[in-house]
Formats: sequence, C-alpha cells, structure tokens
Amino acid sequence: MTLELILLSAGKALFMVMFGMNLAVIMTWADRRQGAMINDRVGPNRAVVWLPKRVAQGMVLAPAVLIAAAIVGYVYTHKVEGAPRLGRALLFSQLAVFGLWATLLAIGGRVARSGVKNSFDAWVASIGDPRSFLWLGLGAHAVTLSAAGLLRGTDLGRTLRDVGASAGPAVFAASVIGGAAYAAWSFERVDRVGLRLFGLLHPAADGLKTIWKEDFIPPNADKLLHSLAPIISFFPALVVLAVVPFGDTLCFGSKAGRIDLTQVMRVVPREGLCTEGAVPLQVLDVNVGLLYFFAVAGTGIVGAALAGWASDNKFSLLGGVRAASQMVSYEVTLGLTLVGAMMVYGTLRIDEMVRWQSQNTWGVFVQPLAFVLFLTASIAESKRIPFDLPEGESELVAGYFTEYSGMKFAMFYFSEYVAVVASSVLLAVLFLGGWHLPFIDRSGIHLQIGDTVLFHQTLSHVAVIVIGVLAFIGKVVGICWLNLMIRWTLPRFRYDQLMRLSWRKLLPASLVNILVTGLLMLLVAGASASVQAGLKVAADVTQLVVAVAGLSLGIWFIAFVTSPVKKKRILASTAAQFAAHLGGTRTARMGA
Amino acid sequence: MEPLDRDLDASEIELAAEPMLINVGPSHPAMHGTVRVVMELSGETIERCDVQVGYLHRGFEKMCERGTWTQVYPYVDRCNYVSPMLNNVGFSLACEKMLGIEVPERCQWYRMILGELARLSDHLTCDGAMAMELGAFTPFLWMVKARELVWDVMEEETGARLTHSFGRVGGMAAPPTPGFKEHVRAVVDQIRHVMDEVKRLLLGNRIFLDRLEGVGVISVDDAVSLGWTGPALRAAGVAYDVRKSYPYLKYGEVDFDVPVGSASDCYDRFMVRIEEMEQSARIIDQCLERMADDGPINVDDPRVVLPPKDEVYTTIEGTIRHFKIVMEGLKLPAGEVYSYTEGGNGELGFYMVSDGSGTPFRVRIRPPCFYVTGGLERVITGQMVADVVPCFGSLNMIGGECDR
Repeated sequence: MTLELILLSAGKALFMVMFGMNLAVIMTWADRRQGAMINDRVGPNRAVVWLPKRVAQGMVLAPAVLIAAAIVGYVYTHKVEGAPRLGRALLFSQLAVFGLWATLLAIGGRVARSGVKNSFDAWVASIGDPRSFLWLGLGAHAVTLSAAGLLRGTDLGRTLRDVGASAGPAVFAASVIGGAAYAAWSFERVDRVGLRLFGLLHPAADGLKTIWKEDFIPPNADKLLHSLAPIISFFPALVVLAVVPFGDTLCFGSKAGRIDLTQVMRVVPREGLCTEGAVPLQVLDVNVGLLYFFAVAGTGIVGAALAGWASDNKFSLLGGVRAASQMVSYEVTLGLTLVGAMMVYGTLRIDEMVRWQSQNTWGVFVQPLAFVLFLTASIAESKRIPFDLPEGESELVAGYFTEYSGMKFAMFYFSEYVAVVASSVLLAVLFLGGWHLPFIDRSGIHLQIGDTVLFHQTLSHVAVIVIGVLAFIGKVVGICWLNLMIRWTLPRFRYDQLMRLSWRKLLPASLVNILVTGLLMLLVAGASASVQAGLKVAADVTQLVVAVAGLSLGIWFIAFVTSPVKKKRILASTAAQFAAHLGGTRTARMGA
Repeated sequence: MEPLDRDLDASEIELAAEPMLINVGPSHPAMHGTVRVVMELSGETIERCDVQVGYLHRGFEKMCERGTWTQVYPYVDRCNYVSPMLNNVGFSLACEKMLGIEVPERCQWYRMILGELARLSDHLTCDGAMAMELGAFTPFLWMVKARELVWDVMEEETGARLTHSFGRVGGMAAPPTPGFKEHVRAVVDQIRHVMDEVKRLLLGNRIFLDRLEGVGVISVDDAVSLGWTGPALRAAGVAYDVRKSYPYLKYGEVDFDVPVGSASDCYDRFMVRIEEMEQSARIIDQCLERMADDGPINVDDPRVVLPPKDEVYTTIEGTIRHFKIVMEGLKLPAGEVYSYTEGGNGELGFYMVSDGSGTPFRVRIRPPCFYVTGGLERVITGQMVADVVPCFGSLNMIGGECDR
C-alpha cells in the first residue's frame, strides 16, 4: 500500500466520521430551531465567537479571492479546443449565471431583512421582491442551455462558445469576489463581527459544556456497565457509516505502479470501471456490506438495555426493557424489508446496489413498499418520536438514560442523532440511488430515454465524482429533514400498539413484499425482449420524473426560503403599541 | 397509603420482580402539579394504584381568615392558576350573594367576557399539555401561543398576566380599557384560527386517536357519585353545566350549547374541551355585542366600593370611607352562603361563613379538580403505564386548586 492510498483511506474515514457527527449536530440544532419557530422564538443562537472587523473581512475575502484566482488561473493557463472547449463554455456560463443570481438573491434577502444601507442596496431594493433575481437567473440558465443546443455548429454558436469559455470564468470569479466584498464591506460599520453560523455554534457549545458537568453514578449502580453503556450505544451508530459508499469509484491513472493524482481531470468512459488506480469512496470495502450494517447496528440495543439495567432505577429498567424489545422487533422488519432489495440488486455489496440503481432505476421505484417499511422501521430503530417509548419523557422521565448526566448523557443524546443520520444514509443508498443523479454517468451528462440520446455532454472525472458526493449529501440531508418533520408532527405510540404495528402489520407486509418481489422477478426474467425493452424505457422515464421533480423541488425550496416573511401581529395591547412605536423589538421588526 | 420509604437492602441492584412497585411523582414529568401515584405494575399494566394528593397544600383557606374579605382575592388567584379570572369572578359573586347586591349590567358582561377568556386559556392549556405529553409537541406550542394572546388581553386589562387579583366585591378593580372590544375580537379570531389548525393536525391522526379512544373510561354512576363536575362529567354524558343549569351573571341571556360526550374516555374529555372553546368564543361574541361602551362598573354603594381617589384626597368623607373599607374591611352580614359558578374544571364553589366582623370566619373552597382527581385511581387501574399520561392530562388536575 502506497502512502497516497493510506492518506486517502484516512481521508475517507475522516470524511465519513465528520459527516455523521456534524450532520448530527446540525440536526440537534434544527430540532431545537423547529420548536422555536413554531413558537415564534429565535431559537438557539446565543453562542457566538466575536471576531475583530479586519479578521472577519479577511475570513470572508481570502477564500473568495483564492477560489476565484485558482479558477481563473487554471482556465487561462490550460487552453482547450474542440468539444472540451464547448463543455468548458457551458460549465462556466452556467456557473457565472448561478454565481450572479445567487449573490444578488442573498444581498436582496439581506436588504429586505435589515434595510437599505447604500446606493447599491437601494438599487437592489428597487427591484422589489428579491426573488426576481431567482426567476431571472433561472431564465438565463434556460436561455444559455437552449442556445448551446440550437446554435451548435453555426458561426454564431462558435462565437458564443468562445465568449462563454473566456468570459464565463471571469464573470463567475467576479461574482464570487463581489459577494464576498459586499459582505466584507458591510462589516465596515461595526467594530467586531459575531460568528454565529445561523446558531450552529450553540449546540456545539452545549455539547462542549457537558464535558465539565458532574458525572453522576448512582450509589448502587453497576459502575462498570453504567460507564460502558453510552460507549456501546454511541460507537455502533458511528461505525455503521463505514460500509456506505459516499461517491462513485474514483479512478486515478497509474504510473509505474503508483497512482497518479493528476489524472482526475480527464473524462472516463461511460461503461465499466478502471482496472488500475481505482479507489472506492467507502471506508470499508467488504463483500458482506449490508450484513455488516445489521450486525453493528444491532449492537446499539445492548447499550440501551445495559444502561437501563445498570442504573438501579425502575424507570431506567422499564426504559431499557422497552428499548430492547422494541429494537429487536423492528430489527426483524428492517432485515426482512431489505431481502426484497437484495433479491432485485442481486448483491450484498452496497456500492454494487448503488451501481445497479444508477444503471436501471432508483430502488424506491422497484421496492416502494420496502421503502416505506424501511423508513418506519428505521425511525423505530433510532428511538425517536413516534417510537420514543424507551425514553418516553412523560412516562419514564428519560427512560434508560434517566440516571445519566454530563458527557455520558450527551453521548446517549448524540448517538440518537447519529443513528438517525446512519439510517438516513442507508435509506439514501438503498432506495434513493446514493450518489447517483439522473442522467449523470461516469462520462458526464447523458440524457437518454430508451435508445434516443437527447443530450450528451462530457464532464471531467473529478466533476462527476464531486457532483455525486454532493448529491449523496443532499439526499441524506433531505431524509434527515423528513425525520425531523415526522418528529414534530406525530404523537407517540403506546407499548402494545407499537408491538402490534411491528408484528401484525410491518412484518407480514415485509413478507408479502418478498413474495411479490420474487414473483415479479420470475415474470420479468421469463418475459419477451420487447417487454424487457419496455421496462428499460420505463426505468428511464422514472429517472426523468426524478430529475424534473428534483429540479422543481429545489427551485421551490429556494423560492420558499427567500420568500419575504410576513408576520401578523395584534397591535391592540398597550405593550405591543409601545413596542411598535419604538420600531419593534430587537428580534422582530414591526412593519408599517 | 403506601409508606414513603421502604427498607430495601441497599447493597446490590434491586431487579424488581413482579409486581413492580413504582413511584410516580410528586415530581415527575407526567404529574404536573404535585401529585404522587404509587403503582403496582405487572409488566406494563397497572394492577393497583394509590393516588396521593396534598403535596401543594399551602393552607389558603386558613390564611383567608386573617385578613379582610378583599384580601382573599390573591389567594383565589393562586388556586386555579390557569384560569384565575374565573376564581375572581366566583369569589366576587359569593360575597355579593352574601351582601345581597348585584353589580351593574356592564360589569356583568365584562366579567363574563374575562371569565370566558380565562376558560379559553384553561382549555387551551389542558388540551395542549395533553397533546404534548403524548409526544405531539407542535400543537402544544400553537396552543400556548394562543393562550399568550389571552394573557395579552388580561395584561392589558388588569396589569398582570397570571395572578390578576382583579375582581372586587361589587364590581371590578378598573373599567374596561378603551380598545378592549377590538382587542378581544382580534384575539378570539386568532384562537379560532389556531384551533382549526390544531384540529386538522390532531384529529386525523391515527396514533393520537388510538392513544385516547377507549382509554380511561369511567361509568356515569361512578363519575356522579365521586362528585365529578365540569368537562370530565360532561364527557361521561351528563349535561351538567352551572352556566346552563343555574345561570348566573347574564348566562341565561346568551345562546350557547353544552357539549357532552358519550364514551366517557380520554378522547371525549379532549373533545368536550375543544368544543367548549368554540362555545366560549360564541359567548364572548354575544357579550361583546351587548356590553355597553360606557356606564358604571361598580355598584353605587358607599359601604362596599372604594371612593374615587380624588375624593379620598380632597374630602374628609372620602378619606374616612376609604379608611374604613381598607382597615376594617367590608362588613359582610353575619351568616353563611354557598355560591357556585362554572370554573375551568367544573363547579367551583365557595362556602363562606361571616360573623359580621369584616374578617372571614371561614372560607371553604370547593375545588372541582379535587373530586375529579379522586377518580384518577379508578380511571387508571387496569390501564397501561403510558395511559396514565392522557388520563391524568384529561382530568386536568391543577395542583394549586386541588391542594389549596
């Protein structure tokens, strides 16, 4: 094993651990933020790092300048001709348009929130709804894309291509620097800048705080097991992430037996993997894949059960017993649900499952029932509402971790969130195509329905991989968000209802799923060639549906997030009128 | 009654065998207020239980006997601290019954509006807390937000958000503020809107219905013989509402319905409260229509009502009148009275004895939830541990009122 490979492995492990833990912290924040939003409060945002003005400006400007310089430097020193030149023109014209509208939208939102400060703000405010920039930008995306398609081969097309290839990177770099410069300039009026990261520092600070809290062990508790339980609970939740591929296999060139890191800029063929210098983007590349997941995830139960027993508390004991029986019951459903998926994919290796989905269609379309069952069972496994009986706050105080304090409590609390991330990751790779995005294959963008190729554009290998990793992260975040919404919407089950759901509904349903999957697979295997071709087209259509739905969802989301906030307040009480007279409170501006 | 501490061998972990004796409360998340329930569990089922109240006993009734009649108001505030205005109104009516006076019409409408707002706040809190303890946090936050609006009105009218001490014998401490009607209309609109959202979120939810339906059933006979009143009794199907059966203030003149349940389970108790909020809103609408914009609030009786401040400072008669009422207290005629109104949880009664001295001889409060809590044992025996939460929540035991 060469040094590069060892470094890469360490990097992958670090990425996965940081991904799991950071997402868990963000979920903690989002959970509390959600509660605050329902109640019209600000939410956790007190933790702040104060930076001197110049340092903050440097922190904003330096990365922007570096990125811009790197892009401009690379592009203007590496000239390309022919098809790659068109690709570069397309990429950078899209990036330039994106950079422009995203920057203007962000500035517009800021102006709408905190008022006009200068003539540029006044111009932005004169546009009205800042979302105009979003719609303009989307229009510009559509225009540049269709122009590239329509004018291909003409003189005008070639001219535009040259303009795009040479001016695009400059415009993109300018928009990046411009946005950063605006932010840096807006710091000019203050002495110091608070680094809050939307309040994300708050849960981090809360987590840190627990280190210094008293570590209480009940006098009659089993000291060893009491201390061991949080570790047993926390560790598996993190370790299951090891077998999950977070991106497509990375292909380096091979030079004299050593991998060549510079070769990632080229375009690789659509089909097949490289034979040399292939680095799978998963920490642990084992052929039992999914079984490893079940083996390790099942260990988490032991932590909860041990904690319940070792605490010498009846509430803890009840919680521990509930946790054990609940998790064992739902483990069965969880396992059986995936049998159908294993039959379809024909493998236990998670990376091959994702590859099957990228070549055919996403798992949610071939195993829709399994998807729902798995989602349900995985929420139950992570012991969150509506399945949070083991820690059912109003019944068992805090359930199995009633007698825990300080860092050990935090580990239980945190392992719950890490478990949510782990189950979301698994849902993403098993049913939502993992790192795969519709019509993006190893060579680039390839829009094909049946045998008709509608659009093809090669992308460099590294770009494809990065897009894949981002898609993976996006899907996991989306499922985590869904988990959060479920937690804030549903009440919790009662113990017998929970067991009934597991053994009388989910388990039979998962068995039926296996049976139906098997029958359908036999039917498909024996079907004629035309049916097979039809299925292939149907699979492509599902990809198209996903692509369109995903795009519109993304646009709707941005429009929703940037929509102006209208708060209706009753101004009848003297206190409210007084506050309005003073221009509102610090957190809520009173409109006219 | 179970002993507080049992002699257990403290040398090793006690792995409780069946039946498991578990002690819930007095400080436990489900036991809002302080009540202790000792349960004997077989698995998750409650075989036997013993409900013990009194952890919040502060001797209010005794304390009432050492001041004037007006000085009782702060104590009744602190009985049902979720709807203190109803207690204020109830106590005022009791004193006025003893004196044989009736407050002006405008004051009666005013008391009804404030009282129904307090009922809204009571039911919002009870139903919201019930949902929250079942894990549905969002409706709780919505309903508490709505309750905040009620408290805004109270703050505007009385100057205090929670313990108003706003009632007075023979009237109220202050007339309505100029923007009162507009404010209340806006608030009631908002509350209706919130309740629509809450209903949409909860009443179509299978999990929520399963947790409530058929849980905590009590028979009508039991409920009546235990002395249950209020929403808990009406959920059992008995349409007893003091406002309807024995109308006081102007309740005989307004149009409202008394919702009753049929199954007498937690779901019915939840729904009766939801429906009563709608009725309260109806009553408030009618009261706002009919309340005059000006006119006296207090009775015109110098023995009962404090003189205006400018008279106190400028005339000797006013000064003496003020002095007599404040220092010696109202002279309620010797005798006894039982006066009852519909509180947040049911019939709120005041049995009072006066010896004519200006100081209460005895003030006995009949708190509705003391009798309702008496039925808790019957309601939860045989249910599962998790059912204690909706059962206890739907009985709406208020510690301050139950233990006084």
